[in-house]
Amino acid sequence: MSSDRQYTGHFRKDFIRNLRLDFFDEEEIRALLAELDSLDPAIRQQTFALCHSLSHASSSLVPNTLRRIQRASRSLSPKDLGRWIGHAYDLLDHHGIGPFLSFISRIDEETLRDFTTHRGLRLQEVAPVLETFLQGISGRELRIVQDTESHTDTVSVYLPAVVDRYVKRSRNYSIFKFMVSHQWAQLTCGTLTPDEAVLRRFLREETPGEADIASLFSQFGERSFAIDLYTVLEGIRLEAFLVRELPGLMREIPDIKKDIMALRPTPLGSSLKETVVEGLLHVYLNGDTDSTTPEVIAAFSDETRDLKDAPDAGASLRLLHLFYEAATRQNGGYVARKIPLLGTIRPDEVSLQMKAERRARRQMIKGMITRLMTMTELRPREMPHRKQADIRRAPDPLREYLLIKGRAIELDRELKKVLEERGCIPGGIIVHGSDLGGSVSPLSLQELVEDEEEIPGRTEGGMQYDEWDYKRGGYKTKWCSLHEKTIHPGHEPFVEQTRSRYSGYISILRKKFELLKREPRIVRRQKEGDDIDLDATVEAFTDLRAGLSPRDDLFTRYDRQERDIAVLFLLDMSGSTKGWICEAEKEALVLMAEALESLGDRYAIFGFSGMTRNRCDYYRIKGFEEAYAETVKRRISGIMPKDYTRMGPPIRHSVHILKSIEARTKLLITLSDGRPEDYDAYRGAYAMEDTRKALTEAKEQGVHPFCVTIDREARSYLRHMYGEANYIIIDDVRQLPGRITDIYRRLTV
Amino acid sequence: MVTTVKTEEYIIAEEPYYLPAGIEIQTFEAAYLNQIPVLLKGPTGCGKTRFMQYMAWRLRRPLITVSCHDDLTASDLVGRYLVQGGETVWVDGPLTRAVTVGGFCYLDEVVEARKDTTVVIHPLADDRRILPIEKKGEVLTAPPQFLLAISYNPGYQSVLKDLKQSTRQRFLAIEFSYPDRKFETAIVIHESGVDEPTAGRLVSFAEKTRNLKDRGLAEGASTRLLIHAAKLVVSGIDLRNACRTAVNLPLTDDREMSEALSELMQSVF
Repeated sequence: MSSDRQYTGHFRKDFIRNLRLDFFDEEEIRALLAELDSLDPAIRQQTFALCHSLSHASSSLVPNTLRRIQRASRSLSPKDLGRWIGHAYDLLDHHGIGPFLSFISRIDEETLRDFTTHRGLRLQEVAPVLETFLQGISGRELRIVQDTESHTDTVSVYLPAVVDRYVKRSRNYSIFKFMVSHQWAQLTCGTLTPDEAVLRRFLREETPGEADIASLFSQFGERSFAIDLYTVLEGIRLEAFLVRELPGLMREIPDIKKDIMALRPTPLGSSLKETVVEGLLHVYLNGDTDSTTPEVIAAFSDETRDLKDAPDAGASLRLLHLFYEAATRQNGGYVARKIPLLGTIRPDEVSLQMKAERRARRQMIKGMITRLMTMTELRPREMPHRKQADIRRAPDPLREYLLIKGRAIELDRELKKVLEERGCIPGGIIVHGSDLGGSVSPLSLQELVEDEEEIPGRTEGGMQYDEWDYKRGGYKTKWCSLHEKTIHPGHEPFVEQTRSRYSGYISILRKKFELLKREPRIVRRQKEGDDIDLDATVEAFTDLRAGLSPRDDLFTRYDRQERDIAVLFLLDMSGSTKGWICEAEKEALVLMAEALESLGDRYAIFGFSGMTRNRCDYYRIKGFEEAYAETVKRRISGIMPKDYTRMGPPIRHSVHILKSIEARTKLLITLSDGRPEDYDAYRGAYAMEDTRKALTEAKEQGVHPFCVTIDREARSYLRHMYGEANYIIIDDVRQLPGRITDIYRRLTV
Repeated sequence: MVTTVKTEEYIIAEEPYYLPAGIEIQTFEAAYLNQIPVLLKGPTGCGKTRFMQYMAWRLRRPLITVSCHDDLTASDLVGRYLVQGGETVWVDGPLTRAVTVGGFCYLDEVVEARKDTTVVIHPLADDRRILPIEKKGEVLTAPPQFLLAISYNPGYQSVLKDLKQSTRQRFLAIEFSYPDRKFETAIVIHESGVDEPTAGRLVSFAEKTRNLKDRGLAEGASTRLLIHAAKLVVSGIDLRNACRTAVNLPLTDDREMSEALSELMQSVF
């Protein structure tokens, strides 16, 4: 409406006047205006404005420009056309008439394509939902990442940026969902990680190193041919699984397959190899072999059909070899092709992920062996020095053990490999379990090294805290020393910046928190109040009648619930928070402080980091008694990532501080970025158990711990580590400032 | 015509449908024989209340259920004097009635109740087994048939709503979780009369939503929700709509999560 009003009002008159001044006759003017009026309403106003501007320079440009716009409208949607006109207008405004004219003269398809919005569904649009979808079906922490084709490396599922096979969004969406589901099926059904037994059937004898899918495919001369074959064969095999698990989705697939089928090239390929892959793809798309199926495949049509019932990748691998050999008997190259729906398999990336996992484990074992060699000799009678709480294991007669310095160590595959690589270790021999006496209690390497840590070392100054050792089922007394420090104030106006950045949000936040404070509530049985408590009154009367002395609390009163809460925020300042996480933590603190100031709950902020048990640093940012004033703000600004994350001592110290505070509810909220880890052996299970213990202690002492973790990976351990404590995981660090206030509100409602 | 049944006369006549997942029935019976109160833990809608009904039927005891709320006081449980026609009349609360008749008193979602209710629960829940009625100056001793049971969902995160140690440590705890796929399918079929493939699908979908717990969903779909969905299907509503109304929408208000749920649902059905 408003656009039309402008278009018909003053500007229109002005435009007509300009045209007249440039000697347009009335007929021409009417024709021009009619042309303008007939334009799509979405661009009419904009075009009119452009023509109006042009008419100031020279009206003779107007008819030509209008014609160009109409020509462009044939290739562009109204929205895209609007952007195109807008760009032209910008050029006219900023660069003058020359560049403008040369721009609007180029209306060929190629140039206009720059202004075309990608048709089809972009991954960006649906990635968050797809990721939740993927986690739902798989129950695993898999991520969605953009790439050129769909594939997976067992940690992430990669998907193309756009699916534009259909005009209809829902169809394209189904394709995305299928791609995700197919990758999930590959992960679940062992396409990428076949059992070693299956692999060995197809590997040449002399294959060195760990057998995985990459070593398998390195055996093929025509690697991409073999990969494509395997991709399609597995597609055929996994279809049955998908139909069983996700019948709803799979109902939509036949139509999509039919449409894809219609677009496949004929003839199948220029060489036998191409013919075989394409032919196999047809089998996949059609659901079975038919008269057009190449002979090589048709010869094994029963086996191909039986793939659907195959429990593991073995059947596909067998057919892969058969087809591969048949096809490579003939000459002819192979050009790798994009396989619709199924994407591809990247054995090397899968192998890399698996190697990384193995390497991490290897590294740990090597470190332990070095440690082992420096250990002191243990006399046999000292052997059972471990606490009874431990379950003692008897040696398994069938297993092998490393006997060294009076200790028997379980030999697992990794350890054995490392030992073989080293040749031998001085003073160590490998024995069978049957040769070990029953009195020997073998340890795993990890347990052993951690036991050895118990030798008391120096602890200097500071507050002494015990540390929980899950191995011995007891505490290492006064194991850690914690030093309270204050943070060096920062000079950047971080708090002010954050406040202005979130100013809108802060005002909403304050309101929300004030609501929390004033939430009116009728309190019954008050000695004085706004209204009579009927229940109490009736009771009083009945008491009177019954000859009892009535109570005098007969009123109800609106009351803001009294909040008696003290909260301590404990901030992970370890080196791993560097960058986004630290910034987000700081922002979260600012928002939290703003909200709490309006609510009136008492709060303190502390940070922690450190290195080894002798140096657990505990930084004061705001004590309970301190006001949220300039110094505190400067300290928040000065928060910087430091060293490691030893979670136990700071949690214990925080509880110690909270114990000295009078409050009905005491809360300890920790903000961290994942696993606890220190420079020494404080890592893995040991660190998790100590953290868990510290949190349990907190709970025992009447402090409610709540843990906020910013972590995009491995969350499986969190549930155990946080145990009884409540926790939440935030995977997008940018959400932290908003979420933390929400969490606090929910916690204390 | 409404018929009034006195609570203490309310004995469950027909066997409620209950599929045991473990040894909970034996445990409960042992607790009953030894006069130890029972705490039922578990997510919502996984069969805690149904279990109580079943046990009440099995042991032939009246069952008095109290759904706790944040305004529930001790006198709501014990009873109070009321005026009737100029006379004061004492009216027993549900807990008192259960003690008197030797029934089961089941306090559902006990953390919701006001803190002062613990005052009456505690002496009943240890070996004294007494219920002091302050107003009447009486102390009731519970007969051996009386059993106190409370339920509690550890999944709730508000720190202000937690069960105190002194309360916890008076009870035997039986943990409930969602049944196995096979059992859950059987339960859905029995409760709703839906056919087996549909029930299987519903359960498979529920499992996928349970994968999303702590990843945006506070809790996955409960068996109760599945039964609701199945009942809608039996009444002729198509599966997807039934699931949407009975499962997805009750589970979350978050738009993105709800979209993801509906994608999951469409893939499963």
